[in-house]
Amino acid sequence: MTAADVRDWDPGDGRISTPSGTRAPARSAAAPARPAAARPPLAPDRGQPPPDWSEVVEHFREGLVVCDADGVVRHVSPVAERLLPEVVPGELLAAAGVPGLSDGSAGDLTHRGRRLTARRVSLSGARCCWYVEDVTESVSRADALLAERARSAFLAAVGDKLGNPLHPDRAAAAAVRLAVPTLAEVAVLVLAPRSGRARWWRAARSDDEAPTVDSGVLASADLPAAVADGLTGVEPHAVDWLVKQAVDAGWLPGLTGAESAARVVPLPGGDAPVGVLLVARRATRWYDEDDVALIRAFAARAAAALTTALLYRDQAEVADTLQTSLVPVEPAETAGVQWGTAYRPAQAGLRIGGDFYGSHRLPDGGTVFFLGDVSGKGVEAAVFTGQLRQCLQALHRVESHPARLLRLLNDALLETTQAHGQGRFATIVLGVARPDRDGGITLTMAGGGHLPPLVLRASGEVESVPLRGMLIGVVPDPRVGEVTVRLAPGETCLLYSDGVTEARGGRRGDEQFGPERLVTAVTGCQRMPAPALAERVEQVTCDWLAHGDHDDIAVLALRAVGPSGRPSRHLHSVPPPAGSDEQIETRA
Amino acid sequence: MTAPATAADAYPGYLDCLADADEYAAIDVALGLLDAGLPAERVLLDLVAPAQAEVGERWARNEWSVAQEHAATHISERVVAAVAAHARPQPTGGRVVVACMDGEWHALPPRLVAEVLRLRGWQVTFLGASVPAAHLVSYLRRHDAHAVALACALPVRLPHAHRMIEACRRSDVPVVVGGRGFGADGRWARRLGAAWAPDAPSAAELIADERALHRVPPAQLAHLADDEYASLVRRRGDLIDSALADLRERVPATRAYTAAQLDSTVSDLGHIVDFLAAALYVDDASLFTNFVGWLVGILTSRGVPAAAVDLSLRHFAGVLRDFPRVVHALAQGRAALLAADGRTAA
Repeated sequence: MTAADVRDWDPGDGRISTPSGTRAPARSAAAPARPAAARPPLAPDRGQPPPDWSEVVEHFREGLVVCDADGVVRHVSPVAERLLPEVVPGELLAAAGVPGLSDGSAGDLTHRGRRLTARRVSLSGARCCWYVEDVTESVSRADALLAERARSAFLAAVGDKLGNPLHPDRAAAAAVRLAVPTLAEVAVLVLAPRSGRARWWRAARSDDEAPTVDSGVLASADLPAAVADGLTGVEPHAVDWLVKQAVDAGWLPGLTGAESAARVVPLPGGDAPVGVLLVARRATRWYDEDDVALIRAFAARAAAALTTALLYRDQAEVADTLQTSLVPVEPAETAGVQWGTAYRPAQAGLRIGGDFYGSHRLPDGGTVFFLGDVSGKGVEAAVFTGQLRQCLQALHRVESHPARLLRLLNDALLETTQAHGQGRFATIVLGVARPDRDGGITLTMAGGGHLPPLVLRASGEVESVPLRGMLIGVVPDPRVGEVTVRLAPGETCLLYSDGVTEARGGRRGDEQFGPERLVTAVTGCQRMPAPALAERVEQVTCDWLAHGDHDDIAVLALRAVGPSGRPSRHLHSVPPPAGSDEQIETRA
Repeated sequence: MTAPATAADAYPGYLDCLADADEYAAIDVALGLLDAGLPAERVLLDLVAPAQAEVGERWARNEWSVAQEHAATHISERVVAAVAAHARPQPTGGRVVVACMDGEWHALPPRLVAEVLRLRGWQVTFLGASVPAAHLVSYLRRHDAHAVALACALPVRLPHAHRMIEACRRSDVPVVVGGRGFGADGRWARRLGAAWAPDAPSAAELIADERALHRVPPAQLAHLADDEYASLVRRRGDLIDSALADLRERVPATRAYTAAQLDSTVSDLGHIVDFLAAALYVDDASLFTNFVGWLVGILTSRGVPAAAVDLSLRHFAGVLRDFPRVVHALAQGRAALLAADGRTAA
């Protein structure tokens, strides 16, 4: 084969025309002004000898294999020789045993560890030429890029899922669930032991995309050595016995020691790891360096989520304990009185606020009850309500007359607020309820600058109780209003905070609910049980607010139900609603 | 006379107890059924639940006042508590949190779901009526929950419901929703990308199937990109004002309304806008037409002619003519109004 042979070949598909000596001059003539440096002419200048096409072709990146009409190899370029050493001129191409080329199908093929692309071009005279290119490097570059993108997308999804503060158990379960299937077929997360016991979560791949998650507890002494090492911050390297340990711990369902690959990485925490992550999969895919880097990046995110969650849990435990002591206590069961309450603090995430209510039983069969509102909002206000309630708790033992009790309370608060320089004050309605012989109750109430109570008469009339007075905790010896109200059986007295009447809503969200609307809302409700009435007031107020911001809302209703003609056994057979502690939170 | 042993036999007497607001007698009926051997779940679902539905119907037909409805609901709650205390199930499963959507006050249906779950061994926390999203989220962060069941009785709460569902999902807790607010077939739950259960037993089954809980299709809310929902919500105040002015101009009687009458008119107009907004949110005009049909029933039973509603629908259609989805929903609503009005007139 000579250079002349190569020159005369035509690819035969009509797309590529072979440059020829006759066309070269025309081309040069057509672009005489073009500088040679800008676009070197393909054809030699006139007067130069024609190029050695064989030499030119041999420098293509593609190797050439030319076959004749019978499929016998006639020419192999040096590049093709290197890529396909089995292809020999004079032999049948099919006999060379190169996949793809042998059966005539072009495309991508892997041969002798190289990634090749082959295309077949028909030539004149039923001959053909195979152009074979080595694309190993560009393919691996593209693969690496795709893998990197997949890793970034995976970590982004993980960050998204674990980015919100979660409950620690949720965070652990979410972490193992996210690890499957990208990192492992089985992922186990072991939290650092607390008082000798280590909790673990496991996600295992199942038939469809959602992995199954379970969890358990192990004594720290029973932890596999590799996991125990991991908890000290060491990343174990002896991978073979790691799998065996995990299998022995019963953590790898469906995987056996012989055919599995596993890794353990610590979950970095503040000072010591918060836990370790064990990932395992079939040995058909070992964990290479990139995989381990990805596992570590994942572990870092999982660890951050867990650390946040654990921190939040510890803080929440403290906050919960404190909040529980400040949540209003439901009024004690009192003969002849049915209580109804509603409580909704301004800050929805908090169960406490600056409104308060409560009751204390007196030795003489009466009951002290109160509802009030302290200045300010949120935690500080709630703490002040706590002080106030404790004062009342103690003071009602020495003084049960409402007006005198209120003055005592005023003095006590004044002293506390002056000592602390807080300048806090409160409004309050404080009363004593005493059952009458006829089943009614007599209420003696003292007013400390609070909104006047309403009374729902059996006739359907709604009365506003004239009760005035000054703020509590501001001046010594304040003016205290006093009033006595008799409730016949079936009549109700309603106490409420300004969160009800000052709720802003309506068409524009800026109109106050006002006392008139409250009266309208409870008109016709005289037969309602006290809890239902309190809930109705809460409901109409919240409907008025229409999801707008609001102040603390508190409602306390007392209904005279009499010693009751009904046998009392049912009262005792009905305990407070199951989970009534949570009911209180609801109101929050 | 022997005590009834089936829920069907006990039902009429039980309804009478609710009508008389007789808490003790109602509890007697329910406990009597338990003593006769009826399982607690059947007492809750075959006696308490249908009676409560009837209570709602009687209010809608204006046979009962709001006060009677509230009193009856309170008694139903006491009955549920008594039945639950009688059964005393031992929790063996994980924690499930049951709550009403923010702004949703129909707490009895989710309470029944809560008790059915408790009877089936779950450790149930019932957060009650109108639970603010922030409160629910802070609860979920403090207590690990296997699932959250959220109830919504009125479709007008769906935009808020969606926010709550998303809040739970961000806490990585699976959500099951239920209640008539998601449509009779739960279609709006699917639109919001939430697992839906038609009743308490199916909610219990769904919650027991952890993989079904985690296998939830994504929300289909691409239509919100047209901004019609957001614009409508922004203009809510203006729309109510202009509709009110329009009413005053066309119906002179409205000029003499008392403050309370004015409030309820404003609240009705607000409902129309809110239901319209909810229909836009889930992109389903039938949400609005169902509401219009219901509203006509409520108003005609209280002596308010349906024509007044049509006046406001026409007004909104004029003001909002640049919003194609609004215009479509309003046209459908007016057609439904004509049909419903024809039925009540006949």
